[in-house]
Amino acid sequence: MAVRAVATAPLIALLVTSGQQAVPPAVRYDQHVFAGGAAPPAEMLENPFKGDRRSAADGEKLFSAFNCDGCHSLGATGGEGPSLADGRWRYGGADGAIFHSIYYGRPRGMPAFGGLLPPDAIWKLVTYLQGLAPAVDPATVSW
Amino acid sequence: MIVATLLVVLVVQRPAPGAPDGQWPMPAKDYAATRYSALTQITAANAKALRAAWSFSTGVLAGHEGQPLVVHQTMYVVTPYPNVLYAFDLAQEGYPLKWKYRPNVDAAAIGIACCDVVNRGAFFANDRVVYNLLDGHTVAIAAATGREIWNTKVADVRQGETTPMAPLVVGDRVIVGTAGGEYGVRGWVKGLDLATGRVVWTAYNAGPDAEILARPETFRPFYDRGTGLSQTTWPPDGWKHGGAPVWGWLSYDPALDLFYYGTGNPAPYNAEQRPGDNKWATSVLARRPGDGTLVWAYQFTPADNWDYDAVQEMILVDLTVRGHRRRVLVHFDKNGFAYTIDRATGEVLVAEPYVAVNWAKRVDLRTGRPEVDSTKLTGASRGSVRDICPTLEGGKNQQPAAYSPRTGLFYVPTNNMCMDYQTTPVTYLAGTPFIGLNAPYKPGPGGNLGAVIAWDAGFGKKVWEIKEKYPVWSGALVTAGGVVFYGTLDGWFKAVDANSGAALWKFKVGSGVVGNPITFTGGAGKQYVAVYAGLGGDWALLAGDVRSDDPADVRPPASFMPDLARHTSLGGIVWLFAL
Repeated sequence: MAVRAVATAPLIALLVTSGQQAVPPAVRYDQHVFAGGAAPPAEMLENPFKGDRRSAADGEKLFSAFNCDGCHSLGATGGEGPSLADGRWRYGGADGAIFHSIYYGRPRGMPAFGGLLPPDAIWKLVTYLQGLAPAVDPATVSW
Repeated sequence: MIVATLLVVLVVQRPAPGAPDGQWPMPAKDYAATRYSALTQITAANAKALRAAWSFSTGVLAGHEGQPLVVHQTMYVVTPYPNVLYAFDLAQEGYPLKWKYRPNVDAAAIGIACCDVVNRGAFFANDRVVYNLLDGHTVAIAAATGREIWNTKVADVRQGETTPMAPLVVGDRVIVGTAGGEYGVRGWVKGLDLATGRVVWTAYNAGPDAEILARPETFRPFYDRGTGLSQTTWPPDGWKHGGAPVWGWLSYDPALDLFYYGTGNPAPYNAEQRPGDNKWATSVLARRPGDGTLVWAYQFTPADNWDYDAVQEMILVDLTVRGHRRRVLVHFDKNGFAYTIDRATGEVLVAEPYVAVNWAKRVDLRTGRPEVDSTKLTGASRGSVRDICPTLEGGKNQQPAAYSPRTGLFYVPTNNMCMDYQTTPVTYLAGTPFIGLNAPYKPGPGGNLGAVIAWDAGFGKKVWEIKEKYPVWSGALVTAGGVVFYGTLDGWFKAVDANSGAALWKFKVGSGVVGNPITFTGGAGKQYVAVYAGLGGDWALLAGDVRSDDPADVRPPASFMPDLARHTSLGGIVWLFAL
């Protein structure tokens, strides 16, 4: 089974919104080829915490506390759900795309956490996942 | 040793009710769950001449657990999610399809099934094929036409329930159960009406006596006394999200009118969140099929600290134990002990380790309880507890054993692995995992990750063993021809001698085998052996580097099994073999 290593810290603090209110996007599958060449609004969403180490650390705690690791495993390396640590994204790796995946869920079993987590907490999860370094050459395995 | 065994263990062959020897109408061929066929055309002497006769791609890449059914020259195959049902006409050249049934299965179930999107098979009864869809529906399909006769929602995906198990049909009752021990479900079995699909009764595995259908006048466990045990052995309300799922195999004794099944782990994994024995998780339960009445129960692993589900099959045989003929059930538990239990009363007659075990020293037959090594107890406050054997994958997992009345031996696919085990406190959120665990695996004693063993259940002794490089995740089949069949994770399908374990034949089937071989009589009276090739079944075991179907999901190999992907990847093939 999957996995976790982080102690459940003062989660309530992580869930308190900081005042920055990123509007939940209203479309899906934003990393696809855009019909008419026009990107949907989610493509434009920017992670307000991008690269912030404290937010990434908070995101790691949330990843455990909200049972994300139950499917995606310790370190998000993949379990029943796909790896989120390989630098590759089934539904797009843009800020808004990852936000969407968490907020609305995805059809192959990803639950929608938008009703459970405020936008800032989701952005912290996005920050954590974006900070995971993929293997040097994930494309090749040799024996 | 084998000779000595045969002298002492005299076995009565149990006829398979309603199962002519050339057919395979239910998951284990017979109600006793023996996976034994009386066919004799393929023998230990001629098995080396086996050859591939036919194959078919199911079109699905996922763990192909379970087994086909063969009834009236038709072979029925259920795929993993999306649970397509194929009916092959064995009377025509090339075995074309008669029909296929494509249910509309909720994709949300993919993320709610803990351990791949497997299906463990169908049951043929009353000219219909009955099976479960992963998203919590049970369906009955007309065998002649493929038409859906009824479709009943039995489980709720939004509460973490999925239904990978194969139903058991007894008379006009269809018995099904729910998975979800990793999602904090409250496990149950239900009895449906075979004619209409209506749910006739529901029996929970934990909670108030009235809801587990334990009445003082009918519930007589051998070891445990008193009422309300399934509440008092939990913290208040702990049983409401306490797991005890049903994702394994069911068997039935017509003479006693009891069906038997095992329950999975209590939830969550952190035992400190659920002090008590947690009855009736990790237990065997004996119930009446007609109304679900609980007649006896026995808990293999009280206060489970290691995810030792007990859903493995209960094989019903009559044999001699310490000089007395006994009606027993034989069960190879995830916890590493093989149990021989009086199936009328629940008294444990024999309990011996069949793989490396160190969490308990022995099972006390007087109390039925294991003598636990306290240094192997786990819990969030204990940090990482090192070197526990076996792993949470079990000495054996879902892969069913077979029993031959000719040799008196059980043929058991096993895992040989140990683990470290670290749990963390976890919060229940409906529809998300309720786990909290970091448990790396390592090879067990000897370094081989698996083995097939022959087991004498009267004495509780291993008779022979075939070491395998990888965990043996396929079921076993044994025939009156003296041949045992099984498959390996790296994609070999093998035949060995039932007496000695000597290798007879093997064939590389294209993907790892996690399904269960069957045998039947096909056209012109010829004996065939069928098996699925299709790796999968447990993403905690199979790191995911065996997948090639998703460019956005690239994973490193498992540290304890770094080279499996060198030999296999996902697949979905039905194979037939014959002389």
